[in-house]
Amino acid sequence: MRLRYTLLLFGLLFTVACGTAKRGEPTYAPIPTSEPAIAQGEVVFNTYCQPCHPGGETGLGPAINDKPAPGFVIRFQIRNGLGAMPAFKKEVISPEKLDDLLAYIKAQRKAKKVKAS
Amino acid sequence: MKNQYFLSLLILIGLSSCYRTLSSEGGGQGDIRTDSRPVNGADIELPSGYTVEAVATGLTFPTGLTFDEQGRAYVIEAGYAYGEVFLEPKLLRLDQGGGLTQVAAGQKNGPWTGVVFHNGNFYVSEGGQMEGGKILRITPDGALSTIAEGMPSLGDHHTDALAVGSDGFIYFGQGTATNSAVVGTDNADFGWLKRFPDYHDVPCDDITLTGQNFTTDSPLPDNPGKKSTGAYSPYGTPTTIGQVIKGRVPCSGAVMRVPLEGGKPELVAWGFRNPFGIAFAPDGKLYVTDNSYDERGSRPVWGTGDYLWQVQSGTWYGWPDYSGGLAFDGEKFGKPGGVAPKPLLARHPNKPPRPTATLGVHSSSNGMDFSRGDSFGYQGQAFIAQFGDMAPNAGKVLDPVGFKVVRVDVSNGIITDFAVNKGKENGPASKLKHGGLERPMAVKFSPDGQSLYIVDFGVMQMTEQGPAPQQKTGVVWKVSRNNN
Ligand code: HEC
Repeated sequence: MRLRYTLLLFGLLFTVACGTAKRGEPTYAPIPTSEPAIAQGEVVFNTYCQPCHPGGETGLGPAINDKPAPGFVIRFQIRNGLGAMPAFKKEVISPEKLDDLLAYIKAQRKAKKVKAS
Repeated sequence: MKNQYFLSLLILIGLSSCYRTLSSEGGGQGDIRTDSRPVNGADIELPSGYTVEAVATGLTFPTGLTFDEQGRAYVIEAGYAYGEVFLEPKLLRLDQGGGLTQVAAGQKNGPWTGVVFHNGNFYVSEGGQMEGGKILRITPDGALSTIAEGMPSLGDHHTDALAVGSDGFIYFGQGTATNSAVVGTDNADFGWLKRFPDYHDVPCDDITLTGQNFTTDSPLPDNPGKKSTGAYSPYGTPTTIGQVIKGRVPCSGAVMRVPLEGGKPELVAWGFRNPFGIAFAPDGKLYVTDNSYDERGSRPVWGTGDYLWQVQSGTWYGWPDYSGGLAFDGEKFGKPGGVAPKPLLARHPNKPPRPTATLGVHSSSNGMDFSRGDSFGYQGQAFIAQFGDMAPNAGKVLDPVGFKVVRVDVSNGIITDFAVNKGKENGPASKLKHGGLERPMAVKFSPDGQSLYIVDFGVMQMTEQGPAPQQKTGVVWKVSRNNN
């Protein structure tokens, strides 16, 4: 019983984790960068994450713009690089930059669709 | 409390098992439409205020576009495409109403990769898969002459697109012979190793090797057995620690220049892999796009994005021992579960700079141009055509990468989609089954700066036998800004 529940949950997580998601401009509204943390986070994202998660969408790696994962899980993933993903230590992405990056990733998830497609 | 811990653990495991569990799902893989190429600008998403229409269709492997002094557009057809298709390269004029008039045709030494019209003549880079790369001059009535030749282009990559500088020189990129400086069985898959079994990369300056060698089963019927191969050396030729390889120009993985009247190529910068796109920004700085390493061959490199570089004279940009300014000095850039690449050069000419922008891994970020004025918008930004992934041959991706036109703010490296296919997922129209973009190869602003032309190479499926490019599926799109 417990196992079946676990497996089900696992399957669900896998689908959520590995799904694709198109959520960028021009279909979606630009991410508001009036907040300095988000604006700086966008630069961090483009420098370190964009190659494998282009625009937060699926690419070499899975989409991250549609994940319900809480902030601490994302931080853990970035610092430790679970699975195939490389780790980004604080010498590469400083704690302040990591905060900005998270602000940007959260804003990315909230992007509103502006066009039908 | 315990439950929460358990759940977090599950989330983490769930999040970290996609890559190994899923198989590659590139834009040329799976169910690809090859029997037709419907064309419909309404299937392409653009920012508000822009529209797109097709201005030429039915082209075979188009790669570049330019305008004459009257503002008429001309397009080149490559004549060669991956998958070992050899045709005649062509220069064609785009007539009003979608007609095409042939101006000139070349030898079977394609791919023609770039064209510019300058002071009454066309200049074309001839890729050089059979005889080596050349820069050609073509008069408006179609007379063709060679102004520079001997570029090392018999391998994986060719002589790339060109741009004319205000100093009267033609600047052009030159790709490398191999993925990461070691000839291997992947080069036999490309087709050329059987044609030119002694061919290899040439450095631009003298280099000293670390002496790493790589053992493979020979793909050459005349020369079977296990072979050991070193860097910058012919297939089956091992190298030793401290061995010096003499540099010369023209060389592999470089930006070079020749005067407009022709002559010997001069070195501008090196250490690129395949600097395909080239353009001067409005402030006069030179930029190239660089197709990064693949996960293939004797020395595969994993997870490196394509780069936009600002080119500084006399600088080495890092190939084959760095990616994006980061050294191959540890576990970095190894395929998950595989070996990380180790340096091939005992000394590096300089510490490579960091890129202006890092584009999608395997996006094949190719031709580019800069928006020059307010009439189109995004003034000063680089527009880059992304041909799209060639997975699984180039490496694994979870979903198609590229197949669109992006714009880059060169002041901070932020990349934003500009023209992208509609649909819930990304990919070429042949996979999404609509009439949008296939494989954007080049972009060019019209001389008045008001419209952006997109050269769309057409359908290229990835099959068990390798790339299968489809003739007569190329398109030229024109993006205009609405007057409002
Ligand atoms: C070299 C490629 C690469 C880079 C660069 C990269 N990632 Fe990843 N990322 C991956 C891969 C691959 C996975 C999936 C892991 C697996 O399944 O083994 C992943 C997974 C993730 C996940 C878990 C989501 C999920 O659904 O599995 C998050 C969150 C994430 N990455 C965020 C980031 C952030 C933020 C950055 C920039 C700091 C970044 N990544 C840089 C390749 C990369």
